[in-house]
Amino acid sequence: MDGVHDLGGKEGFGPIDVNSPPFSHEWERRQWAISTNAWLGGNIDRGRHILELLPPGFYLTASYFEKWCLRDLTKMVAGGIATEEEVLAGHAGIAQPAPEARDLDAAIARVRAARTDFSRPIDAAPAFAIGATITTLPHSHAGHTRLPAYARGRTGTVIAHHGAHLYPDDVAENTETTHHLYTVEFTAPALWGDAADPRDTVLLDLWEPYFVRA
Amino acid sequence: MSIFDSDKAAKTHRHLHSHLPSDPALRVKALESLVVEKGLVAPETLDAWVEAYSDHIGPKRGAEVVARAWVDPGFRDRLLADATDAIADFGYDGHATGHLKAIENTPESHNLVVCTLCSCYPFSLLGMSPAWYKSSAYRARAVREPRAVLAEFGIDLPAETGVKVWDSTAELRYLVVPQRPEGTDGWDEARLASIVTRNSMIGTDRDLKAGA
Repeated sequence: MDGVHDLGGKEGFGPIDVNSPPFSHEWERRQWAISTNAWLGGNIDRGRHILELLPPGFYLTASYFEKWCLRDLTKMVAGGIATEEEVLAGHAGIAQPAPEARDLDAAIARVRAARTDFSRPIDAAPAFAIGATITTLPHSHAGHTRLPAYARGRTGTVIAHHGAHLYPDDVAENTETTHHLYTVEFTAPALWGDAADPRDTVLLDLWEPYFVRA
Repeated sequence: MSIFDSDKAAKTHRHLHSHLPSDPALRVKALESLVVEKGLVAPETLDAWVEAYSDHIGPKRGAEVVARAWVDPGFRDRLLADATDAIADFGYDGHATGHLKAIENTPESHNLVVCTLCSCYPFSLLGMSPAWYKSSAYRARAVREPRAVLAEFGIDLPAETGVKVWDSTAELRYLVVPQRPEGTDGWDEARLASIVTRNSMIGTDRDLKAGA
């Protein structure tokens, strides 16, 4: 979707607050812990899409974990885990028993156990070889996608193939499909015009349906 | 098969946002009460996670990996070939590092990592990301004017150096391996790790200092 989350190349932002720490408030740490420990429905791509659907003005002005909080609350409603009434009350209609608590050692073990493999077997051979020149599609669709707007309709070079990975555009809609994944390198002038520095490049990881042979 | 209704989710966002208290601390408290009462997580588990990411899982992990790559050519080759497998030697594979790729800086090439679409970051290796990494300004500018961004972080690149900006659009995550500074001959891994900064592993720091 052409949302405000698709920030790459947008102008008028900055400067960057280069000394900002990971957390500024205790509630931010709490939000981080909730989002990473409680399953609130959906999958990683659905979660990203729900974040992208936040009201645009809120997306651009709210702090990072504030966005996560509203995303999680809506996720619970969208996933049928809580009703809007329960969310607004801040309490469950019927309380459930708490699951077993994890201590520090178990938390550290869980960080490691969270390792996830997004690659999947595929019958089709990759359509592109390393070194192939490709052009990305000029248009996208209304759902979740990982082809940023700034890289649409641009020509670049395939520099790596990663096998096939789950395809986020479909996974966000609860359909698991798999496509070949590549790293594609674009020169800065190909993306931003002749004023861009010819020494520089931008590399993106793109699925096969995002581009065609140039 | 449930087809996701994005219009409905957008409507839920607006409804909740206009009726919830505006203070984010109160919102998170309500969310915590709700998930605990729903039996989705125990409060002690949240305490333990916060403690794990506050005191145990952070950029020191990445620094140890970089230091080993500097002293052990065999490990460096493995790291560049399959970084997830290589960091498993340390037990640092895990949360958001299932497909980790290490990219080396050279005199001719400087690597910079960003996620323009959200905020992807190799958590189990570098800990929680700094707020600037997640900011609109960094996400918007890193791909378009990387040299101006690097200058704000105090980096002045030599004329022969090109910038490679890696936009984390899939589930691959990136670790920048900075160059080993002069004046560190004979240092052991622990001493070398002490001079590797978090920003150097994202690409917003370049010239590490032996005098640290």
